[in-house]
Amino acid sequence: MEFSELIRTGRAQAELLPGPEEAPLRGTLCVTGHHLLLSPGPPSTPDLWLLLLRSVDSIEKRVAGDSGTITLRCKDLRVLQLDIEGVEATLDIARSIEALSSLESVITSFPFFYRPKGLRLGDAWHFHPPERYYKRVARETNAWRLSEVNQDFSLCSSYPRAVIVPRAVDDDALAQCARFRQGGRFPVLCYHHAPSGTVLLRSSQPLTGPQKRRCAEDEDLLRAVLTGARPGAQGFIVDTRSSQAAKQARMTGGGTEAKAAYPGWKRLHRPLERGRALQESFVRLVEACGDTEQSMDRWLSRLEGCRWLAHVKEALSTACLAAQGMEREGACILVHGAEGTDSTLLVTSLTQLILDPLSRTITGFQELVEREWIQAGHPFQLRCAHSAFSHTRPKHEAPTFLLFLDCVWQLGRQFPLSLEFGEGLLLALFEHAYASPFGTFLCNSEKERCLCEVRTRTHSLWSGLNQPKEQRKLRNPLYVPNPLAIWPSVEPQSLRLWQGLFLRWTRPPEPSEVAWEKVWQIVTEREKTGDSAHSFCLSSQPKQ
Amino acid sequence: LENCIGSLSTLDSVTLMYPSSTEFETLLFSCNDWRLSYVNKEFAVCPSYPPIVIVPKSIDDEALRKVATFRHGGRFPVLSYYHKKKWNGKWYRTVIMRSGQPLTGTNGRRCKEDEKLINATLRAGKRGYIIDTRSLNVAQQARAKGGGFEQEAHYPQWRRIHKSIERYHILQDSLIKLVEACNDQTHNMDRWLSKLEASNWLTHVKEILTTACLAAQCIDREGASVLIHGAEGTDSTLQAASLAQIILEPRSRTVRGFEALIEREWLQAGHPFQQRCAQSAYCSSKQKWEAPVFLLFLDCVWQILRQFPCSFEFNEHFLIMLFEHAYASQFGTFLGNNESERCKLKLQQKTMSLWSWVNRPSELSKFANPLFEANNLVIWPSVAPQSLQLWEGIFLRWNRSSKYVDEAYEEMVNIIEYNRELQAKVNILRRQLAELETEDGLRESP
Repeated sequence: MEFSELIRTGRAQAELLPGPEEAPLRGTLCVTGHHLLLSPGPPSTPDLWLLLLRSVDSIEKRVAGDSGTITLRCKDLRVLQLDIEGVEATLDIARSIEALSSLESVITSFPFFYRPKGLRLGDAWHFHPPERYYKRVARETNAWRLSEVNQDFSLCSSYPRAVIVPRAVDDDALAQCARFRQGGRFPVLCYHHAPSGTVLLRSSQPLTGPQKRRCAEDEDLLRAVLTGARPGAQGFIVDTRSSQAAKQARMTGGGTEAKAAYPGWKRLHRPLERGRALQESFVRLVEACGDTEQSMDRWLSRLEGCRWLAHVKEALSTACLAAQGMEREGACILVHGAEGTDSTLLVTSLTQLILDPLSRTITGFQELVEREWIQAGHPFQLRCAHSAFSHTRPKHEAPTFLLFLDCVWQLGRQFPLSLEFGEGLLLALFEHAYASPFGTFLCNSEKERCLCEVRTRTHSLWSGLNQPKEQRKLRNPLYVPNPLAIWPSVEPQSLRLWQGLFLRWTRPPEPSEVAWEKVWQIVTEREKTGDSAHSFCLSSQPKQ
Repeated sequence: LENCIGSLSTLDSVTLMYPSSTEFETLLFSCNDWRLSYVNKEFAVCPSYPPIVIVPKSIDDEALRKVATFRHGGRFPVLSYYHKKKWNGKWYRTVIMRSGQPLTGTNGRRCKEDEKLINATLRAGKRGYIIDTRSLNVAQQARAKGGGFEQEAHYPQWRRIHKSIERYHILQDSLIKLVEACNDQTHNMDRWLSKLEASNWLTHVKEILTTACLAAQCIDREGASVLIHGAEGTDSTLQAASLAQIILEPRSRTVRGFEALIEREWLQAGHPFQQRCAQSAYCSSKQKWEAPVFLLFLDCVWQILRQFPCSFEFNEHFLIMLFEHAYASQFGTFLGNNESERCKLKLQQKTMSLWSWVNRPSELSKFANPLFEANNLVIWPSVAPQSLQLWEGIFLRWNRSSKYVDEAYEEMVNIIEYNRELQAKVNILRRQLAELETEDGLRESP
């Protein structure tokens, strides 16, 4: 398959309307294998405007007379309008965009061709390997070991090569556990909380089935967790399905951990929405946000009806519950749902943000996303195939990662000094998860990434974001390291709609950007003035 | 302008009763079509107006007396705001006037002096707009009780627009429902959002902002003068007129300018504070004239402030402080319903002015907006429902500690302070350096 086969028209004259507050751009429109380009004719500036075709969620075309209009709705919720001269050209360009934006193949996607100046391939990939994280855990406790039983991904196709397991459990036992858990996702360590000596684990559902199967190795593993933590420590299993859903799962081979088989572990159900329903919620919210002519009543009623904020509240509440269990009750926590790849990761990553000050630094947060989402096997390729504007029938799409970012934003809003990064980083992660020139969010698991050689043949988002020129947009100028846990309020009145994401394109962003820039100016001025005062102090020492 | 600010800031224990004349005098230097009228100096012509008002030069006091009999409560049209704009190299002047409803009644009464008065504000060949803050139905029904609206036949140069703004007990009910929703402890997101919607508070905010934007658009984009009135001209009229000035005039976004706006457009304009702010949301006794009209105005200002964080010299705390003092205060500024009552109560002699306390540097520093950058622009707020938010600084203030947000704010203020100190230090060191260099010209500079 050649890209050129899919491109019907090379170029046409067009005018782009980028948004409600920006001036239109006129020039020559061009479709390439991966991009839509607009080369502005005079008198505009010579900057090329480009759009990654992958970021197009849906296209609408209209023809009238001898010109046409294409409306592109992007995965990052931006809406662009192109007025094109020539009906043929319009239809051809629309068809080309449609075909190119929905290509499924990973290895022909743009990250494999993206070679920006100033970045080295293979840079920053070594930032966050599981070995490095294990070193941190090993410094705090010796009850755990790094196991490479999944070295060739044969035990669990969605786990990374190396995982952290209790020292007392050997690799053969792990193999047995993997057979007892959905998708082979046996319980592994997420986080060790040094102040209380307790741990956070995640897994998928046990395959107890209607026969109420048991697995001695799985039970041993969880027993070892408790003994390795503190004498007399208890454990909580946070099941992100409702108790009915969990019971029903037994009929199809899944189930829950039987009380008698796991002494010391108590099960709590905290249902979190997932899959189709979550995508629906996202779609309805974005629809409501796009309508600026509606009455206040209708807006509020649609906001309530889409239930997005209710999902944010539930996710944060569950994370608080897990965090409280660890910090205040000295208990170990195991989180799982059904597959262990969605709401499970949502809870474990949020819990770490609440408890662990290191995950609130820029590097720590990047590492958290790498470890708890990317390497942990969240199926990004499937979940982020389409966003809120797509017309295609949703299959596996769900905005679980976006829900995580929203919860992080709520935390940042309630604790404005405690996160080293600002909204800019969260928005960047949202965009890149859906469409990116970087390879970080490609594929569904480490196994797939190895097969496609993602790490050696594409650039890492982290290397892009960590360049000094990007830092100003991403860092929080008011950050002060806070060694304590931060407990968010989950009262409905304390949670807000994330305007910076959902209303980004429907209202002018300038005022808050101006304000952010101003705050940065103030902070950097202080540093400069501080430096110059210091150097003046030194230089004005009288030489006698 | 400097004289004006100077005189305002030296007023210590005197409520700002008469300095409006100094302020208006500066205004009059630039426009020769207007004059100060003292016709109401005994409050005999209009009990709710101040003693001095600004009217077109061509209308004498006798005519004003006649017009006062034609308007509700004697509130004849007066100048609220004067806007100058350069268009195609020429200066254009348009005004906002406000009044009470015309008492046309069922007989279709007319008053030639009233017509002459408002026609005097029109630019040659241009039409004006009358913004009636009642719906057409309500305005028509008002005729049965002696009120009404300006009929096209008698006011051919004016186009009338109805932009309904709620008033009286509907607003009070809305406030009560909102506060109840905010205190709801059931922790259910759906319930919270549904109660928020049912209170309709944000709908009222949207209504008022929309009307103010409309008035501002007439003035700035159409270059047409505007007359705003409702029924009595003491509630929604003042909301629309004062908000339009915030949109149009950068000065009203400064601390002193805003204080002057409140003084002129609310206190002296005769908004019945005593009645409206007698009780708030928690009071269980029967409500009569209470309505959170001023609070809604402050909420609208806050919405604009939030959308334009660098355009206001003051911050949210300033608005919250005004809200508190309107309802209960140790200062006399918000006592009484109009200037006449304040005179009778001798408030000027017997009470302290809120402004005298607020304008002290130590207090003012708490209300300063560190991101303020003076600009000369007209700022157009978005009234899309997504752009309007619940004012948590007022409504969710006691729900949970704003400790962290306050900390962030503190931090920012500290950074700015530290900046200033460092800059001063750098300046001192620079001077020392210069001295050292000149003292000892032979020594090498470090």
